[in-house]
Amino acid sequence: MALFPVQGIFDGDFVVLLVPIDDTDPMSVVAEKVAYHAAGRRVAAQPRPLQVRFQGRVLADTATVTDAGVGPLDVLQVGYR
Amino acid sequence: MPKLARSEWYDLTRDMNWTLRYVEEDQVWPQVQSNSYGIPTEQWWIWDEPYKITYPEYVHNQVDKDTSVYAVNSILARSAMYENLDPGWKSAILAHYGAIAVPEYMAGIGEARMGRFGRSAAWRNMATYGTLDETRHGQIQTFFPHGLLPEEPRADWAHKAFHTNEWGVIAARSLFDDMFTANDAVSTAIQLTFTFETGFTNLQFLGMAADAMKVGDVDFASLISSIQTDEARHAQQGEPTIKVLIANGQADVAQKLVDHMFWRTWHIFALLTGLSMDYYTPLEHRKHSFKEFMNEMVIKQFVDQFRDFGLEVPWYWESHFLQELDWYHHGLHLGVWGWRPTVWWNPDAGVSPEERDWLEEKYPGWNDTFGKVWDAITANIRAGKPELTLPETFPMVCNMCQIPLVNPAGHLVGKLDSPEPLILDTDGRRRLFCSEPCKWVYEQNPERFAGHLNIIDRFLSGVIQPPTIEGALNYMGLSPAEQGQDATNYAWAFAGQPGSRQAS
Repeated sequence: MALFPVQGIFDGDFVVLLVPIDDTDPMSVVAEKVAYHAAGRRVAAQPRPLQVRFQGRVLADTATVTDAGVGPLDVLQVGYR
Repeated sequence: MPKLARSEWYDLTRDMNWTLRYVEEDQVWPQVQSNSYGIPTEQWWIWDEPYKITYPEYVHNQVDKDTSVYAVNSILARSAMYENLDPGWKSAILAHYGAIAVPEYMAGIGEARMGRFGRSAAWRNMATYGTLDETRHGQIQTFFPHGLLPEEPRADWAHKAFHTNEWGVIAARSLFDDMFTANDAVSTAIQLTFTFETGFTNLQFLGMAADAMKVGDVDFASLISSIQTDEARHAQQGEPTIKVLIANGQADVAQKLVDHMFWRTWHIFALLTGLSMDYYTPLEHRKHSFKEFMNEMVIKQFVDQFRDFGLEVPWYWESHFLQELDWYHHGLHLGVWGWRPTVWWNPDAGVSPEERDWLEEKYPGWNDTFGKVWDAITANIRAGKPELTLPETFPMVCNMCQIPLVNPAGHLVGKLDSPEPLILDTDGRRRLFCSEPCKWVYEQNPERFAGHLNIIDRFLSGVIQPPTIEGALNYMGLSPAEQGQDATNYAWAFAGQPGSRQAS
């Protein structure tokens, strides 16, 4: 397990965030970690599942950070499906 | 006073230029202190200041100015003027004092460098006055807030700010070091006096003085007006310097220096003045929006001057600068308010129903974009959950302007194709940029900027300990009593809400 920072952007928010994630985190957890800082705070929370986008691709919920090839300070966009 | 008329001796005593015989030119004017851009020594001697003044006249004028402005301050110190000012206005002047007072002394370093390393005697003469001006501005802008300390302890940030690593100070210090503290004399004349002072602050000070009078802050109006009269004079060192460069085939050098510093100045200007004009100044006293001010004052004047000198507007004018007028400072305002514990003033949200109507009128579409973000924030305040409006992490920060990356705000309003920052991976480091112009400035001179760590670089590299919000606030020099809070204790969120009470 290794903790490292990524840049998180939540759809509808105004700012790029520093978000620590773990290389074993599945994307469902990564999405929650990014959403924690924006959804229900600056973006209205919705009862819908989240998804992570990386380099223009939607990542599978079960894919881990290592599987997806996400590295330190990469940009992850998160939003409701 | 001299017995001769000024016109009979001014040019003779001013033009003390001579040909060097015992030393080499580079020993007298090292390139690092005074970049000649290859222009021969004698060509600099055509440098001619538009506004002429002698030392006796200068001293006479300055004594009058100081006598007047300190008298106003002395009288008002015995009044209740400050405590009756609008909370948003108080925030604007606290932000101003912290960001500007000590940099005035730093600008004195830049002026003194021109006073020694300017390439003509006339220029060195003007810059000597400029050095005295900036010293006066530093003194007066630390003295006035010192008188506010009984009412507002954070007025000491007028002196303290630039001795800290507060994030906004890091951004301003990076700009000012680039512009004048660590700049050569020729580049300083174009980047400080022409781009920054003529283009931005001279006009800003006029606007701020007028705004101060409207809100009843006679003290600040008097202060700013007094400073502006000095700025209007010493800012004119840029014009003759540009003329020398252009006359010697170096228009591209002048253009690049302007392009570089106009962009950097714009970002800090948006952070300070954009927020003050559109959110902190009381609604009833706003004469124009920040965008209108930029269009009517800064842009019109700058375009006229570019064309008068035979220069062009910067390459990013249409594609980036004019686009950002619609959104950039609105994003920064959300950031400063949201991360309010990280600043030394109390940010005024400025989004009551009436203020939102004004913002929508001035920036059509504001309610459907920024307004939605404020809707979510307002809902949390009304629900008694202000903690959800406070930060638990940090924003990423641009490696050039040192300002948080609000690119998603530009994307939100349809001005940017992507919410993602620009990335440059070199020397084993990942650097982030908010915009093409910031990345361009970096790439023009990477060795000048590469060693700098922004506040997030410092956080991630272990400079900031412990690596927590509290650790970062301590690193920034902000004790709990100094950290910003909402300026009106969230009154804006309840305005027009029947039966509601203000949040505690």
